[in-house]
Amino acid sequence: MNALWGWGVCRIGLAFLLNFTGLAGAASGPHSALKAVERREVKLAIDDFTLTDQSGRNFQFKSLRGKVVVVAFAYTTCPDVCPLITAALRQVQTNLSNGERQNSHLLTVTTDPEIDSPKVLAGYANRHGAELSGWSFLTGDESTLKSVWKNFGVGVKRKARGLVDHTPLTAIVDRHGVLRFAYIGPSPNVKLVLRDVRFLMSDS
Amino acid sequence: MILSAGCGRNERMDAVYAQRCLNCHGVGGRGDGPMAGSLPVAPPDFRDTVERKGNPQIRRLIADGKGLMPAFEPALSPSEINDMLQMVRFLSREGRQISWWERFDTLVVAHCSIPWEAVLGYDEPAAEKKL
Repeated sequence: MNALWGWGVCRIGLAFLLNFTGLAGAASGPHSALKAVERREVKLAIDDFTLTDQSGRNFQFKSLRGKVVVVAFAYTTCPDVCPLITAALRQVQTNLSNGERQNSHLLTVTTDPEIDSPKVLAGYANRHGAELSGWSFLTGDESTLKSVWKNFGVGVKRKARGLVDHTPLTAIVDRHGVLRFAYIGPSPNVKLVLRDVRFLMSDS
Repeated sequence: MILSAGCGRNERMDAVYAQRCLNCHGVGGRGDGPMAGSLPVAPPDFRDTVERKGNPQIRRLIADGKGLMPAFEPALSPSEINDMLQMVRFLSREGRQISWWERFDTLVVAHCSIPWEAVLGYDEPAAEKKL
């Protein structure tokens, strides 16, 4: 077990310790996709939040308690890493058995609420072949999203309309709402993500 | 003279292409951008695919996206999408034999760049009839 495990849940400061509040490896950099994906074991409690899903319905994070949740941060007009992250999540979903799907959920949280309305997110989900019973695409007002980004340690910086720099984070949250694994980079290794998801399903 | 105005590749087109397309499609539109190798499906070489497509078809593809390619509507304005379309056309012609009908395309592009609604005034909303 990683040494980070023994630290206990620490909400404040851990993100800075992990150095992913900065935009290191951010999406939308000219060659950001070429950077390797980094996997880190962490223990960070995630506060509850309510956002809007691709159908326009309220979505409460707390409703996923008891499930392992894979959370990715992306935006629909992202011209570099986000399509890779979403494609990886699609593969994760495809590779989960029916039983495993009952005990897990995928979330894509937008980093560009200006463009990513529920309708736009629904189109994005459709293009990526997402199975929506186990995958939600979330947007909301900027202040709520800012607190979610901050809680996960995701830095977001708007460059132009439909062009945003953000930390390319894919996070795995356990059944108790604690972030346990963080993948920072363009295309998380699907096998490793599946392994971590299955580990957290079996972990009490 | 009027028809040839706006026919050429310009900085605006280069900028929008560099920001939104280059990572996958590459500098010359050959599908060899820095991200191309990481994609599950290789981006097309514009020289092979664009010639057979009409402008409305390409414009729709840019606006609606396809597969991993983002949908640039509503983030981009129609004129920005048009810039992208023209850039794709320009790149698709580099280093290949140009068909005879494509030689007239710059005229079409220039024609389409003229704000005919403003020039002719036929797009004005109809005046309401007074009761």
